Amino acid sequence: MANGSSLFAQNIKSSDKKSNRTEKEEEITKALTFAIGEQVYGIEIPYVKEILGVPKITRVPCAEVPYYIKGIINVRSKVVPVVNMRACFGKEEIEYNEKTCTIIVELKDITVGLIVDEVLEVLSVMQKNIAKTPDLNNVNENKFIEYILEMKDGIKLILDIKKIIFDHDLMLRLD
Amino acid sequence: MAKIESGMESMIDMYIFETNTLLEQLDEILLKTEEAQTFTDDDINEIFRIMHTVKGSSAMMGFDELQYLAHKGEELFFIIREKPGQLDDVSFIYDLVFRMSDLFKAEVELIQGEEEYEATDFSDVIKDLEKGASMLTDGAPAAGTEVGTYADVEKEKAGGCPGEGAVTVRIFFQDGCKMENLRSFMLLNKIREEADVRGFHPADLEGDPNASDVIIEEGFTVTFKSENDDNDSVLKLIENAINVESYEVISDGKPSETEAAESSSTAAAPVEAAAPAAENIPAPIVIPAPEPAFTAAPVPAASNANQAAALNTGKQSIISVNLAKLDQLHDIVGEIITTESMVISNPELEGLKLESFHKSARELKKLTDELQDTVMSIRMVPLAGPFQKMNRIVRDMKMKLGKDAELKIMGEDTEVDKTIVDSLNDPLMHLVRNCMDHGIETSAEDRVEKGKPAKATVTLNAVSSSGEVIITVSDDGKGIDCEKVLRKAEMNGLLMKPASDYTEREIQQMILMAGFSTNDVVTEFSGRGVGMDVVRDNIEKCGGTLTVESKTGYGTTFIIKIPLTLAIIQGMEVKVDNTVFAIPISTIRQSFKVRNDEIIQDTQRGEMIMIRGECYPIIRLHEKFAIPSEITNFEDGILLQVETDGKNVCLFADRLIGEQQVVVKPFPAYLSRYNIKGAGLSGCTIMGDGSISLIIDVANLIEAY
Repeated sequence: MANGSSLFAQNIKSSDKKSNRTEKEEEITKALTFAIGEQVYGIEIPYVKEILGVPKITRVPCAEVPYYIKGIINVRSKVVPVVNMRACFGKEEIEYNEKTCTIIVELKDITVGLIVDEVLEVLSVMQKNIAKTPDLNNVNENKFIEYILEMKDGIKLILDIKKIIFDHDLMLRLD
Repeated sequence: MAKIESGMESMIDMYIFETNTLLEQLDEILLKTEEAQTFTDDDINEIFRIMHTVKGSSAMMGFDELQYLAHKGEELFFIIREKPGQLDDVSFIYDLVFRMSDLFKAEVELIQGEEEYEATDFSDVIKDLEKGASMLTDGAPAAGTEVGTYADVEKEKAGGCPGEGAVTVRIFFQDGCKMENLRSFMLLNKIREEADVRGFHPADLEGDPNASDVIIEEGFTVTFKSENDDNDSVLKLIENAINVESYEVISDGKPSETEAAESSSTAAAPVEAAAPAAENIPAPIVIPAPEPAFTAAPVPAASNANQAAALNTGKQSIISVNLAKLDQLHDIVGEIITTESMVISNPELEGLKLESFHKSARELKKLTDELQDTVMSIRMVPLAGPFQKMNRIVRDMKMKLGKDAELKIMGEDTEVDKTIVDSLNDPLMHLVRNCMDHGIETSAEDRVEKGKPAKATVTLNAVSSSGEVIITVSDDGKGIDCEKVLRKAEMNGLLMKPASDYTEREIQQMILMAGFSTNDVVTEFSGRGVGMDVVRDNIEKCGGTLTVESKTGYGTTFIIKIPLTLAIIQGMEVKVDNTVFAIPISTIRQSFKVRNDEIIQDTQRGEMIMIRGECYPIIRLHEKFAIPSEITNFEDGILLQVETDGKNVCLFADRLIGEQQVVVKPFPAYLSRYNIKGAGLSGCTIMGDGSISLIIDVANLIEAY
């Protein structure tokens, strides 16, 4: 985390210095990054409502509900479904530990909790860091990716929340 | 094409609400007067007022077509009002006005709809209204209706001498409040209710396009004389009117100033007229109108509809609130209660001696309970609304079918959750129609022959009993013809067992099945065979049940049982491993322990139990919901006998936790694409400790079994 925040500060500084020189340098948005295994993913900040630990999950015992939807949780009297991102990306599930977090995202009145291995940092998304998503048909996983950030400390995949929330067929194809 | 002006959106809701309320009032008055076959002066004035208010608010919202329609209706009643002696044959008026009211309702529904609103053409009914008006004015040509219009008479009145005691007031509206002419017009109407308006300027508020500008420039001048010399109350009314910036009393009715008042009031449009009048008073009293208390809802229409109440009490005692806000309030209260129990039963407090803490905690609990009850009671509305609407249905059906019947309404003050009341409208309508169409004998002779009064009775009754409201719709008609029903069911392939095996009760319930209609002829009102099962589905959707009881020759009764509120049910919480389920208490018949030797195994490894000579299948909840429970032996757990729609099963759970009121929450929208309901779960609820329990839908559970 400490590393992350210094990086964040650095970004701000650099953008201040060369302010408005070119459009590419400007911050487009901020993203919250998290890890699943070795890979770093991100979600644009406007979608993120809050970050929780792993609360008590109540399983929804219905055969139709896919395995990566772990159940429902109580977020301040609101019933929110939770998706295990590991399972969702077809990775092996691991036990929840003290680093495991639930990121509550919201889009158009639909709220979903995403269970991730670890929440990392908030970083500024600059136009210059964005690389176009390669071949969309290549890997299933890429279909959830809105764009890729190439940062000094590695590649970060920014997720497309719309697809995670609305594109159920995509999720089902992963099963 | 009527377009909703920007800035009007917030008013639309109010407009729709007000207009609907007024239209319902109109229907009620019409039904009442039709019954009595005569219009009293009060009725005519009331109808006139309704038309007028609708017209005003429609114009305000820019719905020109509606305004015109209301205007024509108003004109019709204006003629009736002015010539009360000529009402020899008024029957055609009812049909005309009912038609108009229907069109209005349909149009308001359109406005309410999601799609872009497009004005409907009312020329047909307007033509008829004009024809009706001309008939009333002794066969004068249609144009003749214009002769006696409202504005003309007002002008006449304005021409009269204001007389002693009349007050002239100049009113200024807030800058940029728009449509000053209509605001003036509506204010004028309000003043009219309190006082006798002697004149006003500008005189032509509706027709003159420049009226608004004149009002902005010079203010709106009105001369009135209060009926009981209580001019102050009228001034107060003006002061409190919406969007009124300030007003000044030009002449307070003292004889010396009569002239001035006259000059300002009689003038058709003299720009200077008001000015000298003002000069007559050395120091005009300018009283800045206080900001209306409800600026948040700048809806003149609102004050109009409630004006009767408002005038009596000075302030409205009823406000209308957006249902979404109530839901939000309800959620917050639920949250507070959850949080409260998290605090009070916090594990960190365990073992501490906290006497005063527990005392305060109890106090808090009492208050939050009260808060919850209050919030729940806000959502409760009486059934009078949907019940009263049935009067209209019975009236229309009576005319069309030529059957004589009356509607008896009982228990209309029974209160039910708002959402349920809304969803009851359609089912009630179908049931009443069904009673009128199928239930009641076609000819009065048949009835007399059977020793029943020639006039049939349809009864609506509502009673509340322990968390449930029971609504009955009954008729004293011919009852359900079981043989006919059975034949029909056989024909439609609805029979599941030999016809002779069906009991009378079972046959009667068949009429609620999909695709069933015993009436041989399809009528306008019913008989398409979709009615009854749609009714049943609608009622079941809001958690209720529909049954039918009938006695051949004596009549049919439909019984609707609905929960008082959707939001809270009384639930029995049971535990299966770590999962907590809530089972609606209303479905539970008993819970009991069993010995293994009481269990009967059938050939398919299904398990059953014999209770008082009846065999019930057992559903193991842990198996059904795939929960790895350690308790699989019947002797270790507990059985609950549940019943719904006459079907019984026993549920096997680990143990009972207790009875609790649970706030029902639907599953999140994200999960809506999975058929969770089909799996036997109707929703979830948040328990005192913050964890979630699942609410079992017994009907679906049995069906899935």
